[in-house]
Order: sequence, then C-alpha cells, then structure tokens
Amino acid sequence: MIEAKEINFAYRRGIPVLFDINCKIEDGEFVALLGHNGSGKTTLSRLFMALDHPRSGQILVDGEDIINYEPADLADKVGYVFQNPDLQILADTVYEEVAYGPRVKKLPEENIKTNVKAALQAMGLKGLEAKYPRILSFGQKRRLGVAAALALNPRMLILDEITNGQDAAEQAAMMEYLKALNEEKGTTIILITHDMNVVRKYARRAIVLTDGRLVFSGTPEELFEGDQPVERWGLRRPVVSELASRLGVSAASCEEFCEEVRKGGAAL
Amino acid sequence: MKLNAFTWIIVTLAVTAWVFILPLEAVATILVLQLVLLLYFKRSKTMLAAIGGLAVFTGMMVLLQLLFGSPLNVSLFGGLRMLVMTLAFLCMLATTRIQSIAKALVDRFHLPVEYAFMLTAALRFVPNFLEDSSITLDAQSCRGYSNRGNALKRLLSYVVVIRPLVMRAVAKSETLALSMELRGFGANTYKNMPKEELTLTDFAVLVIVVVLSTYPFWKKFLPV
Repeated sequence: MIEAKEINFAYRRGIPVLFDINCKIEDGEFVALLGHNGSGKTTLSRLFMALDHPRSGQILVDGEDIINYEPADLADKVGYVFQNPDLQILADTVYEEVAYGPRVKKLPEENIKTNVKAALQAMGLKGLEAKYPRILSFGQKRRLGVAAALALNPRMLILDEITNGQDAAEQAAMMEYLKALNEEKGTTIILITHDMNVVRKYARRAIVLTDGRLVFSGTPEELFEGDQPVERWGLRRPVVSELASRLGVSAASCEEFCEEVRKGGAAL
Repeated sequence: MKLNAFTWIIVTLAVTAWVFILPLEAVATILVLQLVLLLYFKRSKTMLAAIGGLAVFTGMMVLLQLLFGSPLNVSLFGGLRMLVMTLAFLCMLATTRIQSIAKALVDRFHLPVEYAFMLTAALRFVPNFLEDSSITLDAQSCRGYSNRGNALKRLLSYVVVIRPLVMRAVAKSETLALSMELRGFGANTYKNMPKEELTLTDFAVLVIVVVLSTYPFWKKFLPV
C-alpha cells in the first residue's frame, strides 16, 4: 500500500510542483496516474519510489514513512520503469540487463535464470538474450525496462509512459500481461500514461493531477462518462466514451458500445 | 557592461598569463573582481555551488602541495593561481553565449569551424551528461544498488554507469553529426550569424589587458 499525506514538493530551483497531495493506493489496485505534461505525475511517482523526498508531508509504503529511504531500500517491493528507456540500460546484453537487479540483490543463480527467463518471455523478448540492448527498437527497449523491473518480482509496479512507442500488438500484449499480473498475482500497478483507451480498458481507478494538484480520483467510467471537465485537465475522452456519452449510453469497450447501439436500434 | 566574445577570450587568456607574472596582491584583486562579476551576472544557486566546488578543489590542491613538502605561502599562491585561472573561464562562460565564443574563434582567431564546433559541443554536452548520469544512477538504485556507504562505494557506483553513459554520448554525437550534416553544417555555419563589432568598452578593456600583460617590462620604472 502506498499513501501520500499532505505532500508538497518543489525541485531545487524552488518552483513548487506538487501541492497538498493526498491519495492512497491499496494493494492489488490498477491505477492510472493522469494529467497534462508538467502536471506532476512523474514527480509524484518519483516520490513513491524515494527517488525524491517531499518538502512537507509523508509518503508511506506499507505504512512506513520512507523519508529516510533510498530507492534501493524499496527495490524488493516496488519496481520502477523510467520514461526514457535508453537511460536505464546498464548492461551489455539483454540477459544481463534483466539479471542486473536480481544479481545486486544476490539471488541464487538458479532463481536469477528463472526470473530473467520469465520476465523476457512475458515482455516478448525471448530469443534476444544475447543482443546488445542499444540496438533494440525503441519499443523493445521499453519492454526491456519493464522486464528488468519484473525480474525482482516486486509487489508494486510504477510504469512511466511505457505505452509510448509501442505498436498496437506489442502494447496490447504488454498490457494484457500486466492485467494478468494484477489480477492473478495481486501486483499493484501504477500506470502513468496519456493513452486514454488504455486507461479505459485496463485501469480500475484513475487519479488526475493538474498543475500539481490532485483534482480527481475515481473509476475511469466516472472520469470519462460523468460531467468531469476532462478537456480542461488536458485529457481526451476515449472515442468509445465520447460516442457513448453523445448517444446517452454507457459502454466500456467497443463491444459494449456496439451491443448498446444494436439494442437501441432494435428498440426503435 | 557587455563585452564582445573576442574580448572575453583575450581577457581569459591574459588572466591565465597574469597569475604567473603579477604579484600576489594583484592576483588576489583579480579574484575579488571575478567573484563580484560572477555574482553580478549570475547570482544563482548553481553558480554559488560551482564557486563553492572550485573553492573546495582549490583547498584540496593546497593540501596536496603541503603534503608534498611545499611551504605554506607557495601552496596558497599556487591554489590562488589555479582558482583565478578557472574562474576566468567561468566568467567568460557566464557572460557570453557559447555560439558567440565559437564565432569569435572562427572569425577572429581563424580556428577551423570543426574545432570551434567541437569546443561548443563539448561545453553543451556537460549538463546533458550530468543529467543522464543522474537518471542512470537512479535507475541503478531502483534495481537495488545502494549508493550508501563510504566514498569508495559511491565511486564504484559511478564506475558501473560510466560505460553506458559514454556509449550513449557516442550515440548522441552520431545523431548530432547526422542532424548537422542534414542542416548544411560547414564553413559558413558561423559566418551567417550577425557580426558582433567591438565597442569602446571592448577597446578600453583590451588596452588594460595590454598594460597589465606588459607589467614585467615596466615594473622596474615603478617607485619602490
């Protein structure tokens, strides 16, 4: 469980970035962290991972204040995938890159092999073990970042814009895996994204930040189908939600939307 | 007071010579002037940190000299010289655009365009490199590597990220080279920039530079 209590934060230059943030993410949740560019999403997620510390307020991970923690102290519990995949590559081969975390944590070699294999398989990178990570495509590097985080079997995953740069099939496969991980293993997922279709389909809760303030916390249905000023917050409703809203029906997916439209047609 | 990049380059080169020919009092005065200038032009936390860092480095140099048996006054003067020379470059960088420095090097010192660009690119890469190294260290820490502990351990954590950082810098420079080529980088690159003429202030400063640089020749005429 991650909890932010009365968080205020400013970077070194002194410009405030987050104001009075209060939120709680329970174990096993699938949360989308949304907002326009510069709204403070990444900053808040960095505080969750102890990459930065708040100027005032508390971040609690499993009920413990992490003010004196460094990211390495949380690496067993929380996996963090950065926005820029290039900057997190540390090793010379895909295998070694994924094995880096487990090796630092001194896991037995047998466990390292199993974890790396499972993570690479899950992210569709099987067969690339011996490749030099820098020659991978942007999408593959992103998935490599996720695989590296998965290799430590964290209970929570913070994923910063991992859906960017993926083709439709890659994105769907990765999101389905994360969904299964969330549902079957109870892994908490905190997904930062600008892709509202992904939010609509996978997230069970959406948290919206705008100009450093938390302005919404609720289900994606409440966000997209209610009368929330999503455009003013720099978001765009998914096409299905937009159409459904204009037709006055409720639909979470294309299938549901078509079903509702068919029903409407039949009723006429 | 805005000086031409050409004047700044001359002043910077002159200061590096002055620290060896001028007496201690004069070098100390230059240091004070440099500090006033720096704080006048850029009174930011970054600048204060840079000056503080240089002061610490100077202190270490002085200590090293003392450890190797130099007398205190020689060590202190050595440290002061180094500090003044480094601050001269910092003054130039704080007050002049890098593009203007490159243009002055090409136009007035007839340095080949490629060399002038190398200088500006190297200076531009420093903040990028620092930012990248910070993110890579963060990524390392997120995967369980603790930077806590003694200086040696922290140094070792840097060693691990040096290779990926260098590889990334090389990749970036390749992209930069390609992008420059596509945008017609060549002999005319700096010639197309507006010409920056020397002003009266520049001439006045250059005269002072000449006067101070010829100190060894006229010092014998000074009253004792």
